[in-house]
Amino acid sequence: MIAFIVRRLLLLPLVALGVTALIFALLQFLTPAMRASLYITDPKQLNALPDIIRKYHLDQPVYVQYGDWLRQVLHGDLGWSETAREPVADAIRGFFPATLELAMYAFLCILALGIWLGTASAVNKDKLIDHLSRVTSISGASLPTFVWALLLLMVFYGHFGWFPPGRLSLDADLYVRSGKFHVYTGLMTVDALLNGQGWIFWDAVRHLVLPVATLTYYLVAVLVRITRSSMLETLRADYVRTAQAKGLPRRIVVDRHARRNALIPVITLASLLFIGLLSGVVITESVFNYPGIGRWGVGASQQLDIPAVTGFALIFAGLLVLGNLCADVLYAVVDPRIRLQ
Amino acid sequence: MKQRVLACTVVLVLAVLTLGTGARGAGAPVKNPDTFVTLRFGDPESLDPAYAYDTASAEIIYPNVYETLITFDGSVLSRYVPLLATQVPSLQNGLVSKDGLTYTFPIRKGVKFHDGSTMTPEDVRYSMLRFMLQDRDGGPSWLLLTPLTGKDSTRAGDGKFQVTYQDVAKAVTVQGDNVVFHLAHPYGAFLSIIAGFSFVMPKAWAASHGDWDGSPTTWQRYNNPKLQDRYAFDHMDGTGPFKLQTWDRQAKQVILVRSDNYWRKPARLARVVIRTVQEFGTRRLQLQQGDADLIDVNRPEQSQVQGMAGVTIHDDLPQLVLQALHFNFKIDATGNPDVGSGKLDGNGIPPDFFSDVHVRRAFAYAFDYGTFIRDAYRGKAVQPNGPIIQGLLGYDPSAPRYTFDRNKAIAEFKEAWGGKVWDTGFKFTLTYNTGNTVRQIGAQILKDVVESLNPKFKLDIRNMQWSQFLQTTNAHKGTLYALGWAVDYPDPDDFAQPFLASNGDYPKRNSYHNAEADRLVREGATTVDPAKRAAIYKQLTRIAYQDVPQLYVAQPVGFVVMRSWVHGWYYNPVFGGANYYPLYKE
Repeated sequence: MIAFIVRRLLLLPLVALGVTALIFALLQFLTPAMRASLYITDPKQLNALPDIIRKYHLDQPVYVQYGDWLRQVLHGDLGWSETAREPVADAIRGFFPATLELAMYAFLCILALGIWLGTASAVNKDKLIDHLSRVTSISGASLPTFVWALLLLMVFYGHFGWFPPGRLSLDADLYVRSGKFHVYTGLMTVDALLNGQGWIFWDAVRHLVLPVATLTYYLVAVLVRITRSSMLETLRADYVRTAQAKGLPRRIVVDRHARRNALIPVITLASLLFIGLLSGVVITESVFNYPGIGRWGVGASQQLDIPAVTGFALIFAGLLVLGNLCADVLYAVVDPRIRLQ
Repeated sequence: MKQRVLACTVVLVLAVLTLGTGARGAGAPVKNPDTFVTLRFGDPESLDPAYAYDTASAEIIYPNVYETLITFDGSVLSRYVPLLATQVPSLQNGLVSKDGLTYTFPIRKGVKFHDGSTMTPEDVRYSMLRFMLQDRDGGPSWLLLTPLTGKDSTRAGDGKFQVTYQDVAKAVTVQGDNVVFHLAHPYGAFLSIIAGFSFVMPKAWAASHGDWDGSPTTWQRYNNPKLQDRYAFDHMDGTGPFKLQTWDRQAKQVILVRSDNYWRKPARLARVVIRTVQEFGTRRLQLQQGDADLIDVNRPEQSQVQGMAGVTIHDDLPQLVLQALHFNFKIDATGNPDVGSGKLDGNGIPPDFFSDVHVRRAFAYAFDYGTFIRDAYRGKAVQPNGPIIQGLLGYDPSAPRYTFDRNKAIAEFKEAWGGKVWDTGFKFTLTYNTGNTVRQIGAQILKDVVESLNPKFKLDIRNMQWSQFLQTTNAHKGTLYALGWAVDYPDPDDFAQPFLASNGDYPKRNSYHNAEADRLVREGATTVDPAKRAAIYKQLTRIAYQDVPQLYVAQPVGFVVMRSWVHGWYYNPVFGGANYYPLYKE
């Protein structure tokens, strides 16, 4: 298995290089002046675009430009974002933890709910819970994210006042900014616990509930469907019948024997879900006014803030590559056949 | 057993999460009683009082953090009360000379800046000089330069300096505890300008952070700065009732906290939070829940807050505001996505596309003013006939105005650029600021009509974050864009200069130049006789009709939406937003 993982890790730089080449190729559709903004790290340089075009060889052959750009990216210089009014790298550093926190909780919820519902559906095929889970998950996938998000916001914030938009309530936000609160990770729930501030933890959770619910409802459908089909197939397998014939309790047969094998396609799907999650946060963060990288990305693309959009694409592409790598590794862990190939 | 534990846990979590929550209707207890939360759709451009010239920035700057020598008496723009000066100059108290050329302001003693230093008359003089000499393109410096030096910019049309240090130094002098302003010519609206734009910051604080130190020899290095050149861009040190705690540009939030050393009684509010929330739905829900005390609402969205429990709408507020669509005569096409191909080939426009008057007139006839006022303002606006709007001296109700006429629009398009516009068509992007649904509706109306005239005409629409929108148009990158003007001081010069003078805000952005208009604007500013001034501004209105440098699409009345528990609020059309000092929640 280690050899497999090492081989995948060795491929990672090549994949990353391919991603940068693709993004750079797309940038070639822009004029040199528009691409010049990718090399600006200080607003004072905005008036010197012709100099930058010369300096970074933007009128030179593509491979020369690619080399210059890649060198710059590897040094962490992603240009100046007009929408964030700071270097793109700083903006990403600032916005990313909020998105990571949201995506992390949503991913956990999707996995837990999807696998549980999918299993329950398969085990109780054509019973009420099966019908309910199918209807619920399909309706979630059919409803546009922003509609569902707005509905949740109107009901659970507008009507009940339970789960507000944003990342923190006023009191919690003021406390976090007061200097008494130390930021360790940028993940508000984690930092709140590390600071021993339970009330900030609950406040952060209250703000996460609706965005997480939105993403979960939107993305859980596919996982439920795949888990259900995979479980149905596995439950019909000979070894499961043998386990049942041995007299093992149904719960043990399902949990220990059937589900483990049924999870193999689910793990493959998890990386696809991660992709869906990343596109989902863009809309969700905008509706819930959640200060993450998705909301910033939406604003930046509307403003044609090329460096920001490029940085956004690079970071999301990087996350996707990592997500795929994780899926491959997990795949090898749960299915020994993968290691042999 | 397991299910019961799970059910109990869920109930417990929900109970904890919902503790103390619920909708805030009328009579509900005040939420965050010592903190005022304002939600806007526009973000501030700069916190430097000598740079900022937009409403979102102005709300923070004045009168909340920086203060002026005198201010308006509540909502009344014709009466003043002293602020950092101890008296309002007048002929009666002898602080205005008989020839109207000298204004003396006795400076209040013992006023502390937020950094703890004491304000001196020299700080006042320095601040006035800095305000004039910094003079960035499209900035507010002209407001003091015009009456004090007779020139509306430190730079002439060719970019060379036309104002010297001595010009401004002799215009503002310190005499004992007084600061004396020496006008270049009598100017009836001078006190009004001082009430709105004589912000004071400490000279030592500015200089110690790399700003101009007041030296006669170095000021040119600090002239016409870029947005983030100055420390004062995102730092503040005023004398006002609130001081800046933070401007978090990632969270899009400004927090002001009460200044306990304020020279008057400290404010009742402990802090003010001004946050940018571009989604109207989110702003509305936060107002409904009491998490926001005052929010931006566009007129088309008014029905969604009408009748909301615990919410008050102050409507039909008289304001001197002009909504316009601006033509850029000389577009900077460098890296500019809004001009398409940059050529008149059906896929773009050349940089000088709007320099042909037939193009501008065609757009003027293609705009459906009636539909715009009905849909975007629910009828609560009138169509202006030029930059001199109703309520200003020199407004001419009999002056001609453009009306919606498809045939005339077609005829003008056919004449434009020797008929090439009609034959080849064009494509460009019209811009407006994000969240402004009024301007969005206007843009859509124009797009629909123009594209229906000729299938080769393509007009895209794009919204931009407020601060970036201002920067882009100021960098001459706007094509045709929707932007308004709110009064600085109630005088026709405040509309004639920014709309028609070469050094004015919009002509500078858009490279519009008319020598006769320049002459008349200068004459209007220096003439004392109201009848003669009125005649001058009527002539300028005719020039605006002939030249069509902008489309004057609406003069609306205003309205403000806030929680009913807000007290002490008053309306002043000159302020960019609210004066938070007298506000309290109860």
